[in-house]
Amino acid sequence: MKKTFINILMLGVTLFTVSCDKQLDTTPTQSLDEKDALKTSKDVEVALVGAYADLGSNDFYSGRIFVCQDLLASTTEISWSGTYEQMTQMRNKAILVDNSFVANTWLDAYRTINDVNKVLSALSVVNADKKDKVEGEAKFIRGAVYFDLVRAFAKSWNDGDAASNAGVPLVLTPTVDINAGSQVARNTVAEVYAQAISDLTEAEAKLPDENGFFADKAAAAGMLARIYLQKMDYANAANAANRSIEYALDIGKDLMPSYADAFPTSDGNTSEDIFATQVTTSTGYNAYQDFYSADGRGDIQINDEQIALYEPNDDRLNIFYESGGSRYCGKFDYLYGNVHILRMAELYLVRAEANFRLGTATGADPVDDINKIRERVNLEPYGSEDLTLDKILLERKLELAFEGGSLNDAKRLQTNIALTSWNAPQLVYPIPIRELRVNSKLTQNDGY
Amino acid sequence: MHMRKSIFFLMYLLLALNIAYGQSREITGKVIDAKDGSPVMGATIRAKGGKAVAVSLADGSFSIKVDAKTVDLIISFIGYNDQEVVISGNVMSVSLTQNSQSLSEVVVVGYGTKIKRDVTGSIAKVGAKELTNTPVTSFESAIQGRASGVLVQQQNGKLGQGINIRIRGASSVSAGNEPLYVVDGVPVITNDLSSNGAQTSPLADLNINDIESIEILKDASAAAIYGSRASNGVVLITTKKGKNGTSKIDVGYFTGFQKPTGKRAFLDAKQYVDYFTRAAKGAATQDVLLGYYDNIEDALTDELDYVESRFTRYSAGNEDWRDAKVNTNWQDQAFQDAPISQYDLNFSGGTEKTKFYASGQYLDQDGIIIRNNYKRYNGRLNLDHKVKDWLSVGMNMSFARSQNNRISNDNAFSTPLQIVALSPITPLIDPRTGLTSGALDLNTGVPNTNFPVYYNPLLSVGNQTYTTIVNRTLGNVYANANLAKGLIFRSEFGVDQLNQTEEAYYGSVTARNTGVPNGSGFYSSDQLLNINTNNFLQYSATFNDVHNLDIIGGTSFQKQTNSSSLAEGEEFPSDAYKKLASAASKTDATSSSTEYSFLSYFLRANYKFNNKYLLALSGRYDGSSRFGANNRYGFFPAASVGWIISEESFMENMKWINFLKLKASYGLTGNAEIANFAARGLYSGDGAYGSQAGQRPTQIANPDLKWETTKGYDFGIEASIFNNRLGFEVDYYERNTRDLLLDVEVPGTSGFATQLKNIGNLNNKGIEFTINSTNIQTKNFRWTTSLNFGANKNRITNLGGQVLGTDVNKAKEGASLGIFFTKEFAGADPANGDAIYFLNTPKADGTLDKTTTNDYNAAADVIVGNPNPDFIYGLGNTFTYKGIDLDVLLQGIQGNDVYNGGGQYMSASGSNGFDNQTIDQLAAWDKPGDITMVPEARLFYGNGVNPSSRYISDGSYLRVKAVTLGYNLPASFTKKLKIERARIYARAQNLFTITKYKGWDPEVNADFQASNINQGQDFYSAPQLKTIVFGISLSL
Repeated sequence: MKKTFINILMLGVTLFTVSCDKQLDTTPTQSLDEKDALKTSKDVEVALVGAYADLGSNDFYSGRIFVCQDLLASTTEISWSGTYEQMTQMRNKAILVDNSFVANTWLDAYRTINDVNKVLSALSVVNADKKDKVEGEAKFIRGAVYFDLVRAFAKSWNDGDAASNAGVPLVLTPTVDINAGSQVARNTVAEVYAQAISDLTEAEAKLPDENGFFADKAAAAGMLARIYLQKMDYANAANAANRSIEYALDIGKDLMPSYADAFPTSDGNTSEDIFATQVTTSTGYNAYQDFYSADGRGDIQINDEQIALYEPNDDRLNIFYESGGSRYCGKFDYLYGNVHILRMAELYLVRAEANFRLGTATGADPVDDINKIRERVNLEPYGSEDLTLDKILLERKLELAFEGGSLNDAKRLQTNIALTSWNAPQLVYPIPIRELRVNSKLTQNDGY
Repeated sequence: MHMRKSIFFLMYLLLALNIAYGQSREITGKVIDAKDGSPVMGATIRAKGGKAVAVSLADGSFSIKVDAKTVDLIISFIGYNDQEVVISGNVMSVSLTQNSQSLSEVVVVGYGTKIKRDVTGSIAKVGAKELTNTPVTSFESAIQGRASGVLVQQQNGKLGQGINIRIRGASSVSAGNEPLYVVDGVPVITNDLSSNGAQTSPLADLNINDIESIEILKDASAAAIYGSRASNGVVLITTKKGKNGTSKIDVGYFTGFQKPTGKRAFLDAKQYVDYFTRAAKGAATQDVLLGYYDNIEDALTDELDYVESRFTRYSAGNEDWRDAKVNTNWQDQAFQDAPISQYDLNFSGGTEKTKFYASGQYLDQDGIIIRNNYKRYNGRLNLDHKVKDWLSVGMNMSFARSQNNRISNDNAFSTPLQIVALSPITPLIDPRTGLTSGALDLNTGVPNTNFPVYYNPLLSVGNQTYTTIVNRTLGNVYANANLAKGLIFRSEFGVDQLNQTEEAYYGSVTARNTGVPNGSGFYSSDQLLNINTNNFLQYSATFNDVHNLDIIGGTSFQKQTNSSSLAEGEEFPSDAYKKLASAASKTDATSSSTEYSFLSYFLRANYKFNNKYLLALSGRYDGSSRFGANNRYGFFPAASVGWIISEESFMENMKWINFLKLKASYGLTGNAEIANFAARGLYSGDGAYGSQAGQRPTQIANPDLKWETTKGYDFGIEASIFNNRLGFEVDYYERNTRDLLLDVEVPGTSGFATQLKNIGNLNNKGIEFTINSTNIQTKNFRWTTSLNFGANKNRITNLGGQVLGTDVNKAKEGASLGIFFTKEFAGADPANGDAIYFLNTPKADGTLDKTTTNDYNAAADVIVGNPNPDFIYGLGNTFTYKGIDLDVLLQGIQGNDVYNGGGQYMSASGSNGFDNQTIDQLAAWDKPGDITMVPEARLFYGNGVNPSSRYISDGSYLRVKAVTLGYNLPASFTKKLKIERARIYARAQNLFTITKYKGWDPEVNADFQASNINQGQDFYSAPQLKTIVFGISLSL
């Protein structure tokens, strides 16, 4: 019996051990090997959706980059009482080279770029009827990302020579492995602008007129309008803004009836949104809500200095509210509200400003565009003879207040921020220290 | 037991051959153990001054022929004190007393046991005596200070939460640094399954009182049998077994209370108002400098208006702050009375054929922090049965259920200790509502959004629950078959099944903390199954009487599968509904699974020559699913030698040396504690956007990924002298780790932040010693001392030039893992109160520029502290007098630093928010000429709050770790009660701490950020528990 028992035991053990060897081949269940990830048209389309998700990362199009930049441009119109030291540095115009929000903005942006570069590299498997749409969206994302990267991490277009000022590295092919070639140098500001314009121009050509909450023709043209305005290329700015407005009107978009309606406390885009980062209860994050809303952290309070800028009847004053003895901005009170990246009001303002500066009337007379903005908020329309550039710029400032554009407007308009000069090095993000450590080809910005 | 007997038998044979015959008379007798009268087999009986030698037999009997001149016999045996007796008559009885550091002690090693005398590796053992009834949640806390070279650090004083163990220093930067835990032969689940950002300790599920011994395999030769997972050491836990013929019932109970080990001092109401008024002035000066105002008067008016409006807000809307009518000590509110009770009931016993041990335990412990409570039930049945004379089978089976009512991680506004940020001018109860401050804003009808300063953690009391329930079955079955003489086959099959659920509900009154107005809920479930089977042959034999050979070889297979799911919901009808069924909006749901497996072949041979020369060789060939196909298998060999000098003839004259052994070992061990699919380039399906499914690249491939390998040396001496009154062990070791599994930073422009690669080297070297001494031993009084000491120096030698780490702690070449690498703070600029830093930039002559700057960016990062201790130690003293025993354990660590991550808020010169400040901030710069280390108070101007040496302090401490005072009731008394043994005791844990650290407790590592690199961080972390319990144990 003993012998039989032992023989059975030994046989069992041997068989078991042999079968175990196969057990070392495990496969992940929530992930896919990259070589299997982009095989079909559907694969590439969902990878494009993934790129939008990365675009909406916490330190990028969730809006936190724009909240940070507004803090960088802030003076007495707000009070800052937050505990994120990374943002206190912005408020104090003293960014440290290891600011983790800055580093994450860089990482989030380039992760998004790699996402779309992968998508673009796999266009050949995309069904013919979808190819243009996929390519257009990918290029819209890449163009928008490069534009925001170069504005944040490099000198302003109008600060010295854009053709020689260091911009950010342009990476246009997907990463397959990490090697010496992964260390890339900074392209010039002009090169980055050119890439962004080229991507967005192609996007505008290839995108459909209507594309749900994803990028469409109006979004691409609208983003182009922003770029041209930043370059002070007013003719192109007026044209792009005009095209964007036309596309938008064609698909039934326009200003919401009231100012408050443009900032709903409910799900979804408004018909005024040209492009917005989607936030749902399970994905996405709205940084504006977090920092501006009294229901969020409420770290940013609005001071009398801001209120004093408005005419008494201005309906936009009603967007502010009191809580606990402080005043808050109510544009972003919904936790799961989409992040407004570009809305139509801005395009009317771009078209108006560009036309006014050029003395043209592409699409509309500047005064009509401005009055469209004013009339919505119960303000008296201007007569065309009353209109001045300052009035247009004030209208822009008030209409778009706390929506993330103040720093780049200050640079473009060469407006100093209290004692900080518009082109002071501290208004440009440092290249993240982690990036300098691993890439010897990068140079640090002045002042850091 | 078997091995022990066979070795005794061998010795008997050896010695019996040497018996010399002479003109003589024959003396017979019996050698017994003085303690329990059991026969001692294998003791050597020598004629003093003569040549005659005999060895006692299994029943302790001996027979020796001595010549007429012989007057005395010397009886000796390993583990017992030598006994010299005068021959009286021809039949005599000799009783031997065991010495304190018994060399005959059996230690558990991988896949077997060995006599301590013959061990050539480095193994620390903690026995049941030290562990039993330690009033702590998890057993790791009970070994703190009891094993040399084993650093045990509890992250904070929350119950059942993360404990970090480092055996001979950290060997990895990015992969795991915790040892492998093996319970009764089964590698157990150690995954942290917590969902709230703070680790839990899965080892807390063990009943400490079930543990017979804990062996910590420290060097490569002891651990290499566990191959690819042995680099961080191996902790072998052996549970109790029944003993032959001693059926008994043990009943135990203790109860007591717990308190925090320390508190911090904060400003009171008047100080707070004065301080922030001054901070407003400081801010006004800056406003003018930045050009926000043209003159100081305007700035001051605005700033003072602002700060006073805030005082009024934080005073619940009134002006009580003006004369400090309200002075709330918020810190006290974070703590609670914390009782602890434990109940034990054990049955054990056995016959020649069957032995059993059955136990049950219930632990009910409240945390010192409000809302924290831990309850655990344990059951165990260990059974061994001899089926045939050649076959024995057995099982060790345990069940545990624990319920941990947890609190948020250290970084959450709702974690109770963040309450210290609230203003002392804020009343506990808001007079406007009669409710807890923050509960209700009468204007809106919902909780306040900006009163008090932050979310009031007291609102979470009764309105926020976070319950972690673990059901765990851990056990194994085995069969041992004697195949032939000396050849045993052993088959083990072990299972560790862990089911955990975490359920949370955040009531509507916590809205300010959660951002969700109408309640939010969360439920997660984790099901882990870990199966393990070991099949191996053991062969032991003796050749020519002097060659002892002992070989084991076999295979091991382990597979662990984890499946997890999680659901979240919001919008509850009312706080009466707490289950997700009532959530109108289901906000998230996920499920996932993962698995890994190890297939291993191992072999170990021990050879002993002439009872003096020891050689051990071992090797393990390990395969793991975690690595790419190219590098799937690794080989981990080890060798060690030992020389028992005291057995040499030339030592015969040095009677005062009872035992002396030299040993040396060398071996390779591996580390595979990385993510399960770390080698592959991955896309993940978590890229959903706007309710549309998405995928995105999440990991860059590294097909060459392989094991991290540690090459270890160890040289040691073990000795026992002065009639075994003094024993010591000294070890010197070096551990060189290569091919570090490193999350290497890569250019972010690639789309990735890091890649897991085998880059880098680090080493640990150190010295350890233990000294055991019997200082006084009389009939009624005994005093023993045990000292253990370990000094480890950790040094990273190569990281490919990188500096890793996301916080102040960094991994950096040429320095220890986790050093604090940041600016060196130089205090306040006497001229203007700016925070200033030493430049520390290198000068032409190679020295550092020690001039100061107020430009934080201009100052260079330097090493300003080290969280790794220079040395750790434990000093135990035991006194017994008749029935009374007193055991005092001191434990300390020396030379480590702690960084107060919360300093940027609580010790921030009032320049980073309205957080109440620590009392030391009163020394802030006030006027030109002031020399102080605290910069000027400047509200929201962040004066010196960025990471710097400002927040570093010495974390060395010496603790009265454990004190037990016990009294064993006299037998005469217990007999009357018909009980075998009765003991009453008082036990204290962390009774008293000596430290320079000004925070709550120096034993700290903020739970939300703790990692290999992040060590010694304090961030509103709960202090450790000072526990005093009173207990009784009865044996029936």
